[in-house]
Amino acid sequence: MRALLRAEVLKLLKQSKTYYALAAILVIELLIFITAYYQGSTILDLLLDNLKQSFYFEGTLLNGNLIMYIVLNSLWFNVPLILMIVTSGLVTDEYKDGTLQTVMLQAVKKWKFILAKYIMAVFFTVVVIALMMLSTFILAYSIFGKGDLVVYINTLNFFKSADAFHRICWAFASGTVAMVFYSVASITLAIFIKDSAKTWIAAALFLIITNLLLKADLGIPIFNNYFFPKLIDTWQQLFYFETNWLTIGVNNAVLILYCLGFAATGTYLFNKKDIG
Amino acid sequence: MRFAFLLLLTFIAGIAQAQKVDADLLRIKQRMDSVKQFTAKVILDLDVPFIKMPTKTAQIKYAKGKKMEFSSSDFVMLPKRGLDFSLNEIFKYSFITVDRGTETRYGKLLKVINVIPTDNKSDLALATLYMDTRAGRIVESEINTRKNGTYSLLMQYAPGNNILPGYVEASFAIERLKIPLNFMGKDTKIDRKKMRGMETKTGKIKMRFENYNIKLG
Repeated sequence: MRALLRAEVLKLLKQSKTYYALAAILVIELLIFITAYYQGSTILDLLLDNLKQSFYFEGTLLNGNLIMYIVLNSLWFNVPLILMIVTSGLVTDEYKDGTLQTVMLQAVKKWKFILAKYIMAVFFTVVVIALMMLSTFILAYSIFGKGDLVVYINTLNFFKSADAFHRICWAFASGTVAMVFYSVASITLAIFIKDSAKTWIAAALFLIITNLLLKADLGIPIFNNYFFPKLIDTWQQLFYFETNWLTIGVNNAVLILYCLGFAATGTYLFNKKDIG
Repeated sequence: MRFAFLLLLTFIAGIAQAQKVDADLLRIKQRMDSVKQFTAKVILDLDVPFIKMPTKTAQIKYAKGKKMEFSSSDFVMLPKRGLDFSLNEIFKYSFITVDRGTETRYGKLLKVINVIPTDNKSDLALATLYMDTRAGRIVESEINTRKNGTYSLLMQYAPGNNILPGYVEASFAIERLKIPLNFMGKDTKIDRKKMRGMETKTGKIKMRFENYNIKLG
């Protein structure tokens, strides 16, 4: 298993797709920074316009914590799409290059091989989110400084700087679980579809449908609470004024179970399928 | 003879004008005017239906005739009207008062008066003041302005003969927020019916003052 994982790390490091993905995430971050730098004050002025009639404001809301929150919002679509494209390539490239047959001619168990792919997808996702978090922290706090965070989720919620930082860290942790789920799902899709271009389309469709179902009322309470599209926004709950830690914990645990379920399904199918 | 008559008329008008301002209010105003400067720590609790904000603290600095200054390490929202507990804005232009009798509130017998401005420059339309004449303090006020809506102030004082309140509760009308769509969290639900119902709401800000440092003139 160790040799398989080592080989996977090497493949990931060698392929240009990995670096394109990292560069894409950095570009998204930079665009957010530039927009916030030039337009952040205007948006906040618009947001707080009514309140300015009744209140004097002391302190600034355009700060590192707000930028971190805006960057976190790229977890809705941009980041998972990039992650799904790269991680699905871990399997589809093997089919495309015919290396799968070569590997299977060795004394390698199929389930171990595909499990190594899943582990690598999880590892890559965690590394990407950690890098994203670290780079954003450094840039956001060095350019915009610290300060209270304002978030609009049904009500205008204000959090003190230290509390906001704490919530953002947990949101990144919860968001990582959601991103891992997308990566695991993309590997499973790749096992089904095999072709890389078709898998990318399927991955994008999966992402869109998941986002659409997030808002849809599914009628049955258990589906509305625990169907996977309803769990991918759990990180957002960290920005409710009253945080329900139990719900956040349960949601993440259920999402991890979904990850295991998708991985088990993919492994089972890969074992059953012919390699050719 | 005509000149003497005019002089008498002016004198009577002057007396009449003076009588139109409540003596207790003048006594309280005089007492308030003795505060030349003060600094204090203020602990703020905002109570607005669509805003959730933790308790905040700020330092305020007041100097007579100057704009109130405040500073805080947090982001704070201070009411534009609620901090004027010296009621300088009301007393800025000439006014008359109308005695409305007495009323018992908070277990105290309070004298109620209306303050009506006589100068068109005043933003004040009408103020109702509830005065504790024995302690020489204003306990409550309801202020209707021409441009800045209506607000009310409830003031509580620490035991003793303090001039400045230890607790002030300012109530005011506040319009609903207009949120840019790109600022909304994805989890945000837009309930148009509810939003229409929230066009204008009453907000409150509760302020507790500590560590007063008052300089009297």
